[in-house]
Amino acid sequence: MQTTAVRAENGARSRHGKYLVFHLGKEEFGVHVLKVREIMGLQEITAVPQTPGFVKGVINLRGKVIPVIDLRRKFTLEEAEYTSRTCIIVLQVLLSGGAPAGLQMGVIVDGVSEVLTIQDSEIEDAPAFGDEVALPYILGMAKAKGRVKILLDIDQVLSRQELHGLEKLPEWTAEPALA
Amino acid sequence: MRKKTSDPRAHETPAAGETIGAGGTTVENGLKELSSALAGAESAKAALSVDPAAPPLNQDPQLLSDFLVEAREHLANIEARLLEIEQGSQTGETLHSAFRSFHTIKGLAGFLDYEVIQRVSHEVESLLDLARNGELVLSPSTVDVVLHAGDYLAIWLNSIEAAQQGRPVEAPPSPDALLARVRMAATQTPDEEEAPPRQLETQQSGPDAPSASSSSRGRAGESSLIKVDTAKLEFLVDMVGELVIAQSMLRHNPDLHGVKSPRLQRDISHLSRVTGEVQKTAMAMRMVPIGQLFRRMTRLVRDLARKSGKLAELELYGEDVELDRTIVEELADPLVHMLRNSMDHGLEKPEERTAAGKSQTGRVRLKASHQAGMIVIELSDDGRGLSRQKILQKAVDRGLVSADAHLSDSDVFHLIFEPGFSTAEQVTDVSGRGVGMDVVRKHVARLRGRIEIVSTSGSGTTFLLKLPLTLAIIDGLVVLVGGERYIVPIFSVREIFKPRPDSIFTVEGRGEMVMVRDHLLPVVRLGEKLGIGHAGRNVEEGLMIVGESESRTFCLLVDELAGKQEVVIKNLGPTFKDVRGIAGGAILGDGRVGLILDLASVAGEAGAVSRR
Repeated sequence: MQTTAVRAENGARSRHGKYLVFHLGKEEFGVHVLKVREIMGLQEITAVPQTPGFVKGVINLRGKVIPVIDLRRKFTLEEAEYTSRTCIIVLQVLLSGGAPAGLQMGVIVDGVSEVLTIQDSEIEDAPAFGDEVALPYILGMAKAKGRVKILLDIDQVLSRQELHGLEKLPEWTAEPALA
Repeated sequence: MRKKTSDPRAHETPAAGETIGAGGTTVENGLKELSSALAGAESAKAALSVDPAAPPLNQDPQLLSDFLVEAREHLANIEARLLEIEQGSQTGETLHSAFRSFHTIKGLAGFLDYEVIQRVSHEVESLLDLARNGELVLSPSTVDVVLHAGDYLAIWLNSIEAAQQGRPVEAPPSPDALLARVRMAATQTPDEEEAPPRQLETQQSGPDAPSASSSSRGRAGESSLIKVDTAKLEFLVDMVGELVIAQSMLRHNPDLHGVKSPRLQRDISHLSRVTGEVQKTAMAMRMVPIGQLFRRMTRLVRDLARKSGKLAELELYGEDVELDRTIVEELADPLVHMLRNSMDHGLEKPEERTAAGKSQTGRVRLKASHQAGMIVIELSDDGRGLSRQKILQKAVDRGLVSADAHLSDSDVFHLIFEPGFSTAEQVTDVSGRGVGMDVVRKHVARLRGRIEIVSTSGSGTTFLLKLPLTLAIIDGLVVLVGGERYIVPIFSVREIFKPRPDSIFTVEGRGEMVMVRDHLLPVVRLGEKLGIGHAGRNVEEGLMIVGESESRTFCLLVDELAGKQEVVIKNLGPTFKDVRGIAGGAILGDGRVGLILDLASVAGEAGAVSRR
């Protein structure tokens, strides 16, 4: 059910619906609620070596080991201290070329505020900043309650290519000399 | 011929109702019609449905996969029963069972409108029916035909599966030749058949008893089995793992420590006892008896013996020993290669055996047993044994060892696992290219097992495979490196020691070596290797772990030892598939994740230095 709903959403590119609103610093973001599996408080994260800085590591989600991404670092925002409002949103992510059911990933955000129903009429396409191309992971900008929320296409944010910025350390690049 | 296999979707099929109806009629009519039909008419009919891609499209996929599973089980049963028949139990339950299996396949195939499967199983069924009524004695050549029919059906099942999964389908060959063979076998009266109904009669002997009894027990128990989706099982195991952690956190909760209540103590210990039981049971559900794999080998030995003109008898022991499902699957290939090796190189021809004063029939023994928390699989033959001299000669010729090297028997025997190594003067279609044993070694290493060889010239060879009970759980040492906990699999740890500053040597100012019991071993600073440690740290502040991996030995420098724990291995998923040196994750006692080290890649080049 989960996946069909998500597929329908992607296919029609219909953007209205319920969004979970969270914030990073002063900016507010929205992610479609169908993508959200759960919200949990910050817990201890095990770092995984040889991964880019925004990959915080892995956590135990009821017996499953799932990766956790620091969204501030991912968006190259200034780092901030984790507070009691800091939490992990567990998302069901579809990666291109990945398992059809997708996989679960956690993202660290400064805090979640609410779930909002946003109408199509409230959503505008992301403005092109100068001559840069529009960012592929922004679904649109929503104006609700007098503030602008950036609606994220989370599959794009956490897309495979991006994660595979996990560059290998130099000494690992050469295959071990096997006789 | 209609062989539209390239695009199954192009093939429109009638509505489901019609199909089933048609299938039903075929079943009813099939009996009379097919047995008497002329060959010409039949081949036209066969041509109609030599297309595994055609019918499944309008079938319920669930129905279809059930059919595949069930049909395969029946085929396995048929093979086992036929081999028993060949071993001498010509009558009664064995024959009935094989008959019933064909009958069931026929029925299911009819329902799903797989006409060829239906026809083939029908013909074989008629053949077995004759045998059942005592009108025909099953000779080895007849058994051959029936086994071939089984193989043919298996090919069909594979094609159907491929079509169902949308993979390219290779059309199975036409069944005509096979049907003709089956019919011919059926028309042979006992008189026409040359006298000895079982020329392999000598194979029947005492030690067979355990295998026969256990297989019949397996059949009796079938009704009380249910099939469970592996994903559900995995989820259950995950949840149980969490339950155990939750239980242990509750037990060690500091707030509860102050409470002096005998009742609370009792309740908590009751909880932990029950949790322990649940965990054990959940783990046991992944285990399957090794017997089904062993019995598959019976067929292999039979075929190899017939092909090479040798007489061989396979004895099975310990069929009810249970192993993790994944291990049993991984074991199939190495076992096949080892059996081929034993049959081709080990066992002699009957004449040679008589000359050597042995019975004509060679004995190959396959045995599974528990030993010190591991499963030991023993494959022994009473053939000519490994020739130390021949192997050594070949190894020197190939430059694997120097002529004056002092090698133990075991070292010499292990040379047969080198890729491309073969002492066979001739390459046969069974063996001789030196591939098989290399495959065995690779598989066993992947299963984290070990191989030992014992061989006496002239009286046989024994291979011992020592394997862990499961791949899902390992015993690990929890070590601290740069503040993070890592798990070192204990099976690759040889010793741990506290290094002294003067025991470290630097080679050409780069690589570090440490002297351990008169051996110089390369040092791998784990922290630096993983890019997390503090460079230039004093060696004497850490701990050295002597590790082994794929015959390399090396020392790992870690900060501290935090304990030993049995952990369930978890996959880290596609996100981290490029991370090297990490084999997976595990949930530690406090519910946090620890990373399991992959020593083979951590050691990398460093280990190669000390390679023998």
